[in-house]
Amino acid sequence: MWIELLTKRYPGMRAWLSQRLTGLAMALYSVLAVGRFFYLAPSDHAAWVDFFQPLWWRVLTMLFWLALTLHAWLGIRDVFKDYVPNATLRSVLLQGLVILLWLYLAWAAYLLFA
Amino acid sequence: MNQKLAKKNRPKNLNLFTIRLPINALVSILHRATGCALFMILPVILLLLQWSLHSAEDLQLVLAFLHTPFIKLVLMGLAWAFFHHFFAGIRHLAMDVHWMTTLMKARYTSKVVMVLGLLATLVVSITLWL
Repeated sequence: MWIELLTKRYPGMRAWLSQRLTGLAMALYSVLAVGRFFYLAPSDHAAWVDFFQPLWWRVLTMLFWLALTLHAWLGIRDVFKDYVPNATLRSVLLQGLVILLWLYLAWAAYLLFA
Repeated sequence: MNQKLAKKNRPKNLNLFTIRLPINALVSILHRATGCALFMILPVILLLLQWSLHSAEDLQLVLAFLHTPFIKLVLMGLAWAFFHHFFAGIRHLAMDVHWMTTLMKARYTSKVVMVLGLLATLVVSITLWL
């Protein structure tokens, strides 16, 4: 029954859950990343490149950035909703936000997989 | 008529410096502010990552840049922003599953979030400056 709350008919509920799940995913990745950094302790450029070499790590990092994109969109969108009362300006800012986040996402994908 | 008058005479206080935020509100607004700060440094993170991976010389440049005293101060601020957002976020998740939701408990966890954020920043700062 509560699954229905997560369908398109309840966008607020979806946003709420997405914000939590992406936050949780990023928190787990952050702990893992810090742990991995101290475990491998890369000391020169070759080791730093090696740090990002394993495919599983690059996929995980990409998933992290995907979560970050969604999380940032939901968060900054709320900030605009709260502090920008002018509807025209707000819609321009929201569109700018979406473009920016797409650019960052493409940039991250390029860094990790190109 | 009376209602109109009451509306007119309602006290207004827009001086933010005279409003003392309860600790829960402080943690909450800082969660938002740190989130905005972290959002704004996203392009810098991507840029530094790109340069650092590009070549050994560029990595040295990035490291030299990160080791200038002013940037170290900025990094301390950003570390605090990250940790505060991290711990305040976990507090939100706890409250979402109805854990620590009474006023007294919420005040207590707010203090815990503030202290943990500052402690973690202290640890990072020590490794930064030593």
